[in-house]
Amino acid sequence: MSEWLVVFLYALLTAVATGLGALPFVFMRTISERFVSYAGAVASGLMLGASFGLVAEGTGYGRGETLLGGLLGVAFILLTQRFLGEQDGHDIVFEAARGEGARRMLLMVIVMTVHSFAEGVAVGVSFGGGVTLGAVITIAIAIHNVPEGVAISAVLRPQGVSVGRCAAWSVFSSLPQPLMAVPAFLFVEAFRPALPYGLGFAAGAMVFMVLGDLLPEAYGHGKRAQVATLAAASAVAMVLFQQWL
Amino acid sequence: MTTLEPLGTVLAFSTLAALAAAFGALPQAFHVPPPRRAIGWANALAGGLMLGVAYALLTQGLTQGLLAGGAGALLGLAFVRGTHALAGTGELDLDSSESPSASVGYKSVLVDALHAADEGVAIGAAMAVALPLGTAMAVTLAIHNIPEALVLTSALTRVGVRPYQSAVIAVAVNVNQVLLAVFAFSLVALWPSLLPWLAGFAVGALIYRTLVELLPESYAQAGRTSIAMITLLALGVVVLLVGVTS
Repeated sequence: MSEWLVVFLYALLTAVATGLGALPFVFMRTISERFVSYAGAVASGLMLGASFGLVAEGTGYGRGETLLGGLLGVAFILLTQRFLGEQDGHDIVFEAARGEGARRMLLMVIVMTVHSFAEGVAVGVSFGGGVTLGAVITIAIAIHNVPEGVAISAVLRPQGVSVGRCAAWSVFSSLPQPLMAVPAFLFVEAFRPALPYGLGFAAGAMVFMVLGDLLPEAYGHGKRAQVATLAAASAVAMVLFQQWL
Repeated sequence: MTTLEPLGTVLAFSTLAALAAAFGALPQAFHVPPPRRAIGWANALAGGLMLGVAYALLTQGLTQGLLAGGAGALLGLAFVRGTHALAGTGELDLDSSESPSASVGYKSVLVDALHAADEGVAIGAAMAVALPLGTAMAVTLAIHNIPEALVLTSALTRVGVRPYQSAVIAVAVNVNQVLLAVFAFSLVALWPSLLPWLAGFAVGALIYRTLVELLPESYAQAGRTSIAMITLLALGVVVLLVGVTS
């Protein structure tokens, strides 16, 4: 098997692992307003923690580049929100939902999919050192992707999307990872300079989604102390988890 | 670092951070009450700085013991949640103008005094990781204390406290920040293995406090997008300046 095919298969495995993030929601049958709020809080914490990890990696390649990438990520979300807003609420349909809920789900899937592009490049560039460490890195990234699947499912499931389709959207959001990993692996030198921008972009987009949408929404429907507890604990757990990997 | 020698630095910088609060009292002292939206932005700024500081500690203070750090973070979270529950300040809005009463004033002061406690631990723990991180942490928290004092003095004047008195109170609530900075630093100097516990405690407390006080209040005071933007910018600048010092 040629080397790039190995990289592709490894990266594909990491994308499929994201679907496992829908599993915890198999056991949650009732969907109350509180559940929507607390699932949003968990998603917020996981994304905040994941962004910390991306920024830590990005600043290793270049600080200013990471910050600039982050600002571009914010601009991207603002433009996307504007575009979705101009579609006149009712016309947006995502899964079974319409309007506000559909808009949030669509934005979530877009943000997480875009962030996977940057992660794919990061995977490819780190593989560039040699495929020997490949299996270890792959397992690490596959495990790292599971909570991202949890975050996506935590936004989709409360809107009535089935567990199977939550898993499918989670895998979908990670597909750019194998697609970007291969060219990044083959042309490491060309991709490396773009990496801090990409990582910053992904972090900026995710944090902005959390602060501008998920968190205020969670506060609006649940008890403050519970939202803060869930989000803070998820964020710290995510960072510790990534450092441990 | 196992010597107490830089204790003077810790003392000086944490005192500086505490005194910075006086600047936040200026608008009230000159009888220019800031508009509600500006208070929301001040809250968002304070929250972003807080999250940035937590990031710096999280990535640099817990490396020697992830489990101890995680346990410390849970303790910090439980500490803030518990003190809120005990004091009955869980859902306190510093800008709730409906019932200006003495008890709202007392509670506001209490919340900020407890606030300063975990900030003190954060400064002490950061100093123990590395002096540059510690000084950067103290400067960040000094800046953070200004919008915090702005919010507190606005609340106090609303319940009838005189402007100059509210300024004194805004600085006084930060005294335990100095005490706990020195205390946390000394603890780590004596028992270095406590570092991940203390850093974790500060991280858990800072993130929880931001999420339970600063952010939800700010969303009620100004629009989501402006709050997200200010918080993110403050967070980004701290991460770039402080997060990668060592």
